[in-house]
Amino acid sequence: MTHGQKTTIEFNDKIVRQFMLASLIWGVVGMLVGVLIATQLNFWQANFGQAWLSFGRLRPLHTNAVIFAFVGNMMFAGIYYSTQRLVKARLASDFLSQLHFWGWQLIIVAAAITLPLGLTRGKEYAELIWPIDIAVAVIWVVFAVNFFWTLARRHEKSLYVAIWFYIATIITVAMLYIVNHLSIPTSLTHSYPIFGGVQDGLVQWWYGHNAVAFFLTTPILGIMYYFLPKAAERPVYSYRLSVIHFWSLVFLYIWAGPHHLLNTALPNWLQLLGMTFSLMLWAPSWGGMLNGLLTLRGAWGKLRTDPVIKFFAAGVTFYGMATFEGPLLSIKSVNALAHYTDWIIAHVHAGALGWNGFMAAGMFYWLVPRLWNKPLHSTALANLHFWIGLTGILLYVSAMWASGITQGLMLNATAEGGTILKYPNFLETINAIRPLMLLRVVGGGLYLAGFLIMGWNVWRSIRGAAAVNGRMEVYVEAPVPGETLGAGSTFLNAPVVFTVLVLLGSCVWMFTSGVLNIIGLVATMFCVLLAIGHFESRGKAWADWYDKLLVSALPFTVLTFLAVVIGGLIQIIPMITIDRRLQTEDRVARTYTPLELAGRDLYIREGCYNCHSQMIRTLVPDVMRYGDYSRLGESIWDHPFQWGSKRTGPDLARVGGKYNEAWHYDHLENPRNISTGSNMPAYTWLMQQNTDYASLSAKIRVQRMLGVPFPSWSPAMIDTLAKEQAKDIAKELKTQGRYVDPDREVVAVIAYLQSLGKTWEPTGAPAAQP
Amino acid sequence: MPPSPPPPDDPGIKLREHTYDGIQEYDQRLPNWWLYTLYGAIVFWVVYWFAHMLSGLATTDGAQVDAAMTRIAAAKMASSIDVSNDGKFWEMSRNPVFVEAGKQTFQSNCVPCHLPSMRGKSENPAAVGPDLTDTAWIHGGTPKEIYVTVSKGVPTKGMLSWEPVLGQKKTVEVVAYLLSHHQPGETITVQLSN
Repeated sequence: MTHGQKTTIEFNDKIVRQFMLASLIWGVVGMLVGVLIATQLNFWQANFGQAWLSFGRLRPLHTNAVIFAFVGNMMFAGIYYSTQRLVKARLASDFLSQLHFWGWQLIIVAAAITLPLGLTRGKEYAELIWPIDIAVAVIWVVFAVNFFWTLARRHEKSLYVAIWFYIATIITVAMLYIVNHLSIPTSLTHSYPIFGGVQDGLVQWWYGHNAVAFFLTTPILGIMYYFLPKAAERPVYSYRLSVIHFWSLVFLYIWAGPHHLLNTALPNWLQLLGMTFSLMLWAPSWGGMLNGLLTLRGAWGKLRTDPVIKFFAAGVTFYGMATFEGPLLSIKSVNALAHYTDWIIAHVHAGALGWNGFMAAGMFYWLVPRLWNKPLHSTALANLHFWIGLTGILLYVSAMWASGITQGLMLNATAEGGTILKYPNFLETINAIRPLMLLRVVGGGLYLAGFLIMGWNVWRSIRGAAAVNGRMEVYVEAPVPGETLGAGSTFLNAPVVFTVLVLLGSCVWMFTSGVLNIIGLVATMFCVLLAIGHFESRGKAWADWYDKLLVSALPFTVLTFLAVVIGGLIQIIPMITIDRRLQTEDRVARTYTPLELAGRDLYIREGCYNCHSQMIRTLVPDVMRYGDYSRLGESIWDHPFQWGSKRTGPDLARVGGKYNEAWHYDHLENPRNISTGSNMPAYTWLMQQNTDYASLSAKIRVQRMLGVPFPSWSPAMIDTLAKEQAKDIAKELKTQGRYVDPDREVVAVIAYLQSLGKTWEPTGAPAAQP
Repeated sequence: MPPSPPPPDDPGIKLREHTYDGIQEYDQRLPNWWLYTLYGAIVFWVVYWFAHMLSGLATTDGAQVDAAMTRIAAAKMASSIDVSNDGKFWEMSRNPVFVEAGKQTFQSNCVPCHLPSMRGKSENPAAVGPDLTDTAWIHGGTPKEIYVTVSKGVPTKGMLSWEPVLGQKKTVEVVAYLLSHHQPGETITVQLSN
């Protein structure tokens, strides 16, 4: 090896310190909101009668704060610290770094203001209104430019596995975020997503599931690959495992999104893909856990003395647990019990508290002494944090497991020879799990207490300490011609060609019938055997090619992008290119009346979807409880779809006409007027605020633009129609003894609720095709 | 630099030459159980996809639910109670087992509107449901008329349709409990509510 000119570089560690402290602060905020809304589930009064503190508005704030503010800032700190050292280059631009930091914090502040105000897009983890969405996309691009520019200036030619994961994170999050946030504005603060009904559902969970994958998993795996061997001072267990699990993970993850929509009206082929690809994902996920845990072999002694290793070992173990549970929950029959219950809450918190939170803590404890050149204030406090945090997670997760399984079993239980539900009243199932929901508050509170101890410890460590920036001596080497891959050799090589052939073959097999189907199967098997044979005889060529790929950042990025894009293309393209009217099964929705649409937007504003689904699954207990199972056509014009993901309250898909208007009025005013023991907030503000009729014409214009078949009403017509219907409902309420101004929001909400399940017409098509 | 690492499981396993910021990597082979898990999941996918999408043997989820609901409806019909016989209802309303069972169901489902006393609006004008202990009835006061009201509900007035929720047996028990507060042959007045 020739050594070029020697220079010393100073890393930009200021940006790492900034992101780290921001992560700590937002982490506390996000968890505090979590504890508050968990308390509200037992004590509905804990919203203090304030709209902006109500569960439906704060739950999105909790999820967004934990994902984008806490883990986001932690991820940026970890990526910026490790990347500079792994590629031996200072971050390309101090300006872009600062723009990235301040832009991101501004976005978080904007989110923390708009979400409690009820400004939302109504899609989970994608609630932020369109101007903030654009800011997120811009700042993400700033991050990407800063990162790839740094790669371009690197003095370490070969990319370490951590960098692979960072690359996958940056390009995939950009793709997911942009597609799922495509919207047409109706005003400065409101927009409708361009997809509707099942298309919106599919795109949403393609995004939602892979936000978990590429925002909460892949960057943290990259961080694990840097900080864990550093702290353990041990070599990584297996490079080969890194290669296999990286590529299989990024390729398979994207396909698994539909497992969030199992047993729903989603077409069966998509449900099957979601389930089987989730099962195939189990091994690649565990590859990451193995590489983490087995790297600790020989360093287990440190587990007793070093809090950093404690946090990492527990974090990776929780990752293994959560990624075993994920495939388990993706099995349709398990999902029938667990979906919409607290089991899912247990699952995500094993990931968020166990994996993300503990990896963050381990990384912070490792970074503080190095970024401020001063030992940690107290190792004992760090150990205390670990034990309190661990107790908190275990309490939280086991309470939610017990709660989810209890409620799931109760909801599905039947009596009298399976002819009626054993617990027909949904409230019975909620009241059965109240003690467990309380235990969750205790667990979450303990975890937050541990986190605050870390905050104190970090504060004491850095107070008065001088910040230091890392330095490294590097040798500037001249580029060697032919060292990197060109366009041809990026694609025309055995690993890529065989992968493409096997994929093509299996797609032909999956999606055709008859002779073509058999050809597809035979071709796939033939290509697999050929690939194995080629690898056995020419394995060295495969390894050499990969070594070359590792010094070629652009080809690596392109191949990663291709790996993550395929699953989404195959699942989503057929659904959005086929005319929506052909995806309706045997019934198609009529459009909402203007007042119903206004009510629907209020339903979204209040975040009702956080607790109520609108999707009766193809399961007997669902049909017995809520009525005939939902068909695609019934929600086909819904922008955004409101199928929901959690049932803290009952499903509402067919609630229309089930109760009279006075029932809804009393129930919204205070649910306990009617449903003894309900934990739903009292929506008194709906009785005081006036419906926003003025925005309806812009909203209907945008919906028409999106293909929803509203008649071409004039703005005046829309206004009249809405006000007339409101008067009719107010009159009906009057005959039932409730006196209300027709212009109050509650009237619009009642109009919408009474339309649910009532707005479809038969198409004459058969119910479901095999 | 970290202290030189202890040897991996297999002495033949090499440590890769390249280090990244001091991080080294072994190149151990993949654990067999891990590989078999991956292969097993792939095989499962092939078999499952074939069985459900290609073989033509699988019925759709919707068709399965429809068939199950038809069986349930048949089972209900087979064990249905004769609800057109007023005399039978009066007989049940004098049977303590029936009345007690009906009381339980009433307490857990009907009291929010009709109050624990069954006196509804007579006790508290703000209550949603009417008095069930007096002789004035809105939707008919014979046992079979009361049964129809409970069973099918009066949605516009806020009375739910209870038979799909409770099943026929419990619905009949509730009617028996109601009738236990009345006498056969008592004067019934039917009046429309306002």
